[in-house]
Formats: sequence, C-alpha cells, structure tokens
Amino acid sequence: MGIIHGEEMVLNIGPQHPSTHGVLRLKVRTDGEVVSDIYPVIGYLHRSFEKHCENVTYEQVIPYTDRCDYIASMNNNLGYAVTVEELMGIEVPEKVEYIRVIVSEFNRIASHLLALGTYGLDVGAFTPFLYMFRDRERILDMFEMVCGARLLYNYIWVGGVSHDLPKGFVETAYQFLDYFEPQVKEYNNLLTYNKIFVERTADVGVLPPDVAINYGVTGPNLRASGVKWDIRKDEPYSIYDKFDFDIPVGRGELGTIGDCWDRYWVRMREIEESVKILRQALKGLPKEGDVHQAIPKKIRPPKGSIYKRTESPRGDLAFYITSDGKPKPYRLKMRSPAFTSLSVLNKISRGWMLSDVIAILGSLDIVLGEIDR
Amino acid sequence: MTKYFQNIWETVTTLLTGFGITWVHMMKIKKNNVTLQYPEEKWPRPERNIGFNHDDYNVIRSRLTVDINDCIGCLKCMRACPVDCIKIETVKADVRGDDIQDVGHVGITSNGSKKAMVVTRFDIDMTECCYCNLCTYPCPEECIFMTGGPNADRHHIDYEFSEYDRTDLIYRFAKKGTQEKMAKLMAPKEPKVKA
Repeated sequence: MGIIHGEEMVLNIGPQHPSTHGVLRLKVRTDGEVVSDIYPVIGYLHRSFEKHCENVTYEQVIPYTDRCDYIASMNNNLGYAVTVEELMGIEVPEKVEYIRVIVSEFNRIASHLLALGTYGLDVGAFTPFLYMFRDRERILDMFEMVCGARLLYNYIWVGGVSHDLPKGFVETAYQFLDYFEPQVKEYNNLLTYNKIFVERTADVGVLPPDVAINYGVTGPNLRASGVKWDIRKDEPYSIYDKFDFDIPVGRGELGTIGDCWDRYWVRMREIEESVKILRQALKGLPKEGDVHQAIPKKIRPPKGSIYKRTESPRGDLAFYITSDGKPKPYRLKMRSPAFTSLSVLNKISRGWMLSDVIAILGSLDIVLGEIDR
Repeated sequence: MTKYFQNIWETVTTLLTGFGITWVHMMKIKKNNVTLQYPEEKWPRPERNIGFNHDDYNVIRSRLTVDINDCIGCLKCMRACPVDCIKIETVKADVRGDDIQDVGHVGITSNGSKKAMVVTRFDIDMTECCYCNLCTYPCPEECIFMTGGPNADRHHIDYEFSEYDRTDLIYRFAKKGTQEKMAKLMAPKEPKVKA
C-alpha cells in the first residue's frame, strides 16, 4: 500500500477574493484538501507603468510610482527620487534627508500595520485588524497634514520634498510615538502569542534561507528566514547610516526558522525599530533649511544608466533608469519586491492544506499594484 | 501528557488575555471612540495657517479650481499634468492688458501682470485627475490650485465633491462670451504690416 492518490482537482481562487490581497488569481491543484501545485495568475492590475514612464517627464513619473505600491507610497517616491538624484549627482540638503527618513519610516509602520492587521484577518482574528487600522489612520492623518494626501502622496521629489513639514508636526509625531509604543505590546498580547494564531502560523510554510536567496526574496520575508540583509544597513542610502537600529531576523521562537509566524514577528519587530529610527530622526531634524533649494529647474540627467536599490517595507525596491539626455527617461525598470515574494509561493505551499495557503499568502505580504505595475 | 495540558493552559490564558484587552477597550468606548458617523459628522481637515507662504499653506488634495481672471494662458499647468486632464485654448489679445468686456476677459491679473492671451477654453476633467498637485506648482500667478490652497478664502471647499453624471465632473472655467463676439475673437487676424 502506497500513498492513496485521489482525483486531482483544479480550484480557482480569485481574482475577486478578499484574502488574496488584491486582484490575484491562484490556480490551485488540489488532491483532496492537500495542495500539490499553485500557479499564480497575475496581470489584472497591469497599467504598463514602465512603458508609460517613457512618455512622461522625470517629475511626472513620481505620481505613477505612488500607484505601484500604494500601501507605502512614500518609500516608492524615495526610491525613485534617490535613483534620479544619483544619476544627476544632486546633493540634497540635510533637512530634506531627515524629512524623507521621517515620512518613509512612518509609512513603513503604516504599511506593516496593514500587513499584520490583514494577516490577522486572513487567519480569523478580526479585532487586531480594527485596532491596527485605527493606529494607521493616525499616521495617514499626519501625512494629510504634511502633503494633503492620505494615500498617494507625490511628496518626495527629485532634489527635495514638495512642502516643508507643517507647524506642529514634530509635536504631533512625538505624541503619536508616545501613544503607539504601548500599543505594540497590546498587539502582541492580543494576536502574536494567541495560541490559536500560533497554531495556524508556526511551522507552516517554512521558507528556508537558501530557497529564499535563490528566488530573490528580500525584505522581511528574507530576514524571517534568518538572513540578516537590510539595504538600510548594508548599502545605506539617504542618511540611514546615521541612525542606530537593529535588523530583526527570524529565530524560530515558536516553530521553525522561516515559518509564517516568523515572517509576522519580523514585521512586528521592524515596527519597533522604525519607532527607534523615528525618535532619532525627529531629534536630529534641523530647524532651518530650504526644502526646495536643491530641486533642479529642469530634470535632464546626463547620458547613462543607473541601478539603485532601496529598502521598501516589502523588500528590495530598485529602479533601473537609462537616460539619453532628454527630459523623458529612455527606459525605466522597476524591480518590485512583492513579485519575487509571490514567486516563491508555489515552492513553500506545496503539501499544505488549502486553508494554510491563505495563511502563507498573507504572510508574504504582497501588494498587487506593485506586482503587476 | 503534560504537553496536552500545557496546550490547554496556553490556549485558555492567551484567549483570556485577548478578551481582557477587548473588554478594557469596550469599557472605554465613550472616551476612545474613533468612529465618526459620517453624514452627520465629517473628518476635520488638518488645520494650518492658510497663507501665501509655503510654510503655512494648507494643502488639501481636492477639486482643482482656477481663478480665470488671473490666468494668463501660459499653459504651464497643462504641460505639467501627467494625465493630460487640463485642456486650454488661447487666442492672442489685440492689445496687451486691455479688458474685453464681451467675453469677460480681464486684462490685468491681481498680481498686476498684463495678459497677452485670451483664454477661450479651460477645461479640467476631474474624472481623469490623479490628484498629484503637480499643476499648481509651476503656475506663475498661483491661479490654479486644489481648493484649500492660497486662495481658499475665495472658494468654499467641496467636501463630498460628487455628481450624478460623469460629464458634470468636467469643469469649464473659461468665460463664455456671445457667439458672435467669440467668433470675432477667434477669427484669423490680419498680419500687422510695419509701415
């Protein structure tokens, strides 16, 4: 008697399904309830970002980068702005660098809160989702104060930022951080150590470090597998080398290294690290300085190409820009971290139950706007 | 066997911790309530000192508004728009800085610059707008802005900003003259001959 093989069935999940985090369709080959193969079908949100960038000027690309990873638009703006600045050789004033770090770390917290909240929702916990959204709302309110928009900011420009920080922003930010730090403990009590949640996530969907590296997985998903790799530390851009923070890595505390719980836990600890960076950045923020000083009148990079990567909340976000000396990019390629995270789904969810696939997919924290571009 | 009871113990304690937290929140619901009953209450907009300086300028990403009397027809906003939702047509004025009463053209802007162009069409399709605010920065007269910009006191802020018909979201800012006068304005001009 070998293993009994039943009749295999192909099941479609999506594209309109609440737990696929966007318009993602999964073709799942199942044997009973056990998943034997997953084929993600993407492209429902394809907007032809890269081709479109060839037809707009360098400034006009920024609103489009907002719409790639719409959960963390500030980090996308920053990645693009840093790349073009390096291509043009622009020195950015210190104040601008501090503002950029502040807004992008706030956005990292907001993005992780959304990821963790919806992950709780995926495995059946509704309350943490509401609490996390409540706190994310306060961050969005702060962004509204800074640039008027709540989700798609167009705030970080090449050479500067669109507006200086408003009056009273620093006080509001401190107030938020003082309020927020105890909340993290509450989330941990509510969700992280909850036995039901741990049973659903620990030891599930283990992503070994070698597989993660081979697939090009980056960001929290890679760090959860125990690989200490963070662009902010290893290849510092902007002024991240000035700040003192740790890189949380998965240690397999409640299961195996690289399981779903580790991916969740790395994000939770990254929120704490972001709070640490924010406190240092708010302290060091220069009072004087013109945020528009280094903005070039016309963005016309010299001929050449550049590849620069930055650490977005989802991982290694990189832009490859080729310039032919004209006001429009000759070619713009975006490397999106969520795409590589999704590509590893088939590998790590084979042999798990169908309901575990939802847990594994949620732990990868994908944003379809960035995958399809 | 100990593992079995330990599991039960962990489940019960962590569940009760979670229930405790939600219970505490439920008790404080009056004080810590964050939900707003939308049509009765509205989210307050972030307050800033509204002024011309960029430090205390209240940016709200809302409806684009144009003070057409201040518009000089330089087309800078049209070129800045990444989605081409602004459409402008202009005609050269006969005399720079003169009012043309028939089509409601004001010759001098509030900043004092004399206009050389008559704006015959200024349409903004807000269904296409991506709210990036890029058009407002290059404007030399600060006459195009998202409501809540430097001229916020002149326009009320449209909170819901919704229409029943999609075409109602195309805002036409250019003033309409009578058909004859418009035709006269747009007629090809005779080339000036230098004596």
